[in-house]
Amino acid sequence: MTTRPDPARPEPDALRPPARFRIDPAGLALALLLTALVTALGKVVRTVSGGADAGLLYLLPVMVAATRSGLATGIVAGLVASLAYNFFFIPPTYTFTIDDPQNVVSVGVLLGVAIASSQLAAQVRLQAIRARHSARQSNLLAGYARHLTAIGDRAGLGEMTCAEIGRLLDVDTVLVGRDGEGLRAEAGWPRVPVLETLELAAARWCFEQGEAAGRGSDTLTACEWLFQPIGADGKVHAVFGVARADAGPALEPDMVPLLMSLLDQTGLALERIALAEEMAALARVRERDRLRQALLSSVSHDLRTPLTAVIASLQTIVPASAEQAAQLAAARGDADRLHRFIANLLDMARIEAGALDGSEQAVDLAEAVASALHDLRASLAGRPIGVEIAADLPFVRVDPHLLHHCLINLIDNAAKYGAPGTPIVLKADADNDGLALHVLDEGPGLPPGSETRVFERFARLEGSDRAGGTGLGLAIVKGFTEAMGLGVGAGNRPDGRGADFVVTVPRDRLIEGSIMP
Amino acid sequence: MTGHPPGAITILVVDDEPSIRRLLTGCLANAGYRALQATDARSALASVHVDKPDAVLLDLGLPDRDGLELVPLIHSAGVAVLVISARDATSEKVAALDLGADDYVTKPFDTDEVLARIRSALRDRGRQAAAEPRLVAGEVEIDLDARQVRRRGVEVHLTPREYDMLAELARRPSKVVTHAHLLSAVWGPGHESDVEYLRVAARSLRRKLEEEPSRPRLICNELGVGYRLMVEG
Repeated sequence: MTTRPDPARPEPDALRPPARFRIDPAGLALALLLTALVTALGKVVRTVSGGADAGLLYLLPVMVAATRSGLATGIVAGLVASLAYNFFFIPPTYTFTIDDPQNVVSVGVLLGVAIASSQLAAQVRLQAIRARHSARQSNLLAGYARHLTAIGDRAGLGEMTCAEIGRLLDVDTVLVGRDGEGLRAEAGWPRVPVLETLELAAARWCFEQGEAAGRGSDTLTACEWLFQPIGADGKVHAVFGVARADAGPALEPDMVPLLMSLLDQTGLALERIALAEEMAALARVRERDRLRQALLSSVSHDLRTPLTAVIASLQTIVPASAEQAAQLAAARGDADRLHRFIANLLDMARIEAGALDGSEQAVDLAEAVASALHDLRASLAGRPIGVEIAADLPFVRVDPHLLHHCLINLIDNAAKYGAPGTPIVLKADADNDGLALHVLDEGPGLPPGSETRVFERFARLEGSDRAGGTGLGLAIVKGFTEAMGLGVGAGNRPDGRGADFVVTVPRDRLIEGSIMP
Repeated sequence: MTGHPPGAITILVVDDEPSIRRLLTGCLANAGYRALQATDARSALASVHVDKPDAVLLDLGLPDRDGLELVPLIHSAGVAVLVISARDATSEKVAALDLGADDYVTKPFDTDEVLARIRSALRDRGRQAAAEPRLVAGEVEIDLDARQVRRRGVEVHLTPREYDMLAELARRPSKVVTHAHLLSAVWGPGHESDVEYLRVAARSLRRKLEEEPSRPRLICNELGVGYRLMVEG
């Protein structure tokens, strides 16, 4: 791999946990120097005091070597020290032979103490190095986390992550994200790489399984890259790939924990950014809804105000003749119809916008039917109405307004298509599946095959032009019943006398035990 | 506005639409009321304090302030408030009633209905808080002191809950009483959302008191909002 001059980059070796068994040349040199000094000192002491044993002095270089440079160096220093002691001080001096068996024990003890103390010192040293190492890693991770928090968008995060980790671990990096159905390299370091089929397969496997894939993992090892999942709470937000230009392992095994820590932090940051983006999208939707609501209510106000004036004015006019009275009644009827059309248009807009914020309530169907009939009393004048609703019919859990509009439209529809003067019957039955409310008229009924078409917008069946209307009424019935979790159907009466529209209430919408307290 | 007998009942019409104002003032004048007009919230409040009307017909869509904010202000001045609005959402109606409105009529309205609601609101005002002990609604006679209900002169047996609900409605004759109010008054606090209790009691009351329970004339449902005991027409 080409070297990239970067003074800020910590030495990759410094990030690595210390090796357990390695001879440090500098430490060994120091130990040899000390051994020589100790030998000279021992000689001087012996000359001055005669007889005194210099053996203990040799512990010094051994301890220094062991604490400074580790176990291996300590043992080597111990061997050298015991040899020097043997050579220079144990009779016969200046040979490596030992006469007195007691002196053999002395050399052995020296060596043993050297090994034991060096091992002890080495352990302390190892712990110190580990502590320093983990402190350095913590600093590094904290620095990385600081970088992450400063970034608020996914693209910036990808670039930063790839560059930082690439520099830290001295590898090529890539961040792969989902792009619709496929995968896309979102960022890379030193450049965004072009991923081949095999790499993409490994990245995809990593995405789907949430486990490492590629070189050095258990799967798709022929791949040049090693992919690791980035995620939080079991959700994979992206996949991170590392590779080395020299064909060596993508990552030395001892660096994997560091990479995983860095990726964990990246995962949290990605999660944070995804949440922030979701919130922003939600805020946009809310704002759009608010505008739409404002528009709807303003249109509703603007259309209703003049209509209110018209309807109220018509009521205040005192007719001078029977003919005028009839004209006024007709005008009033048309104004009422216009009002219903406006209401239907606004309702349709609400359905299309998905803006039905219904609030459910226990509703007595008998009461709901009575309210609808009350509101339609003007257009139903002179027409017999039959209501066959059992007194102990269970209540239903629906939005009373939506149900009201459904009933208004169904009854209005029956009044439009039923022959003039014929009765309209509203009938409700409960059975094991739930409850069915029928609206029956007496008229031509529905042409065969039009049973579902009647609920389409602006559908007006052939030969029924005389009734007029926007054709929105039944589409609204369908939209509202669906919004409430109810069903709606159309057909002809079994006796063939007219049409039969039915609203079905599934069992789970009935309030059981509501018959009587 | 000259020529009205002094001491005639005064009603203030608040609406920013000239045609609606003209229409309502005309209707009110024909019915014998003295009618005043205001086009926005500021002048409406000024008129409430200066002219001291008996009732206010209040539109909610005013140019300077939301009409809902005015409801408690007018109500606290001891003036009956009748909201007349194109807004037909249940939440708006309940909010207006909770804030102290006497009733709520949606546009387009029936002028006869508006006049009937004004009469109910004013009657209530005249009686102050002291409920009339005896009330006649169609064939039904309710004696609040004796806790007795008679239909065509024959005593009707009601369960305590049924009677309490009827009495609560009778205390505000012809005016809408919200679900939450009825539930809290009859079933106690904590039951404000158990609307099915009300449905059960209303269904049973109708069966006992109405001529034709499937076409109620006494205990009328105000869609999603509450109930009304009709005592006239």
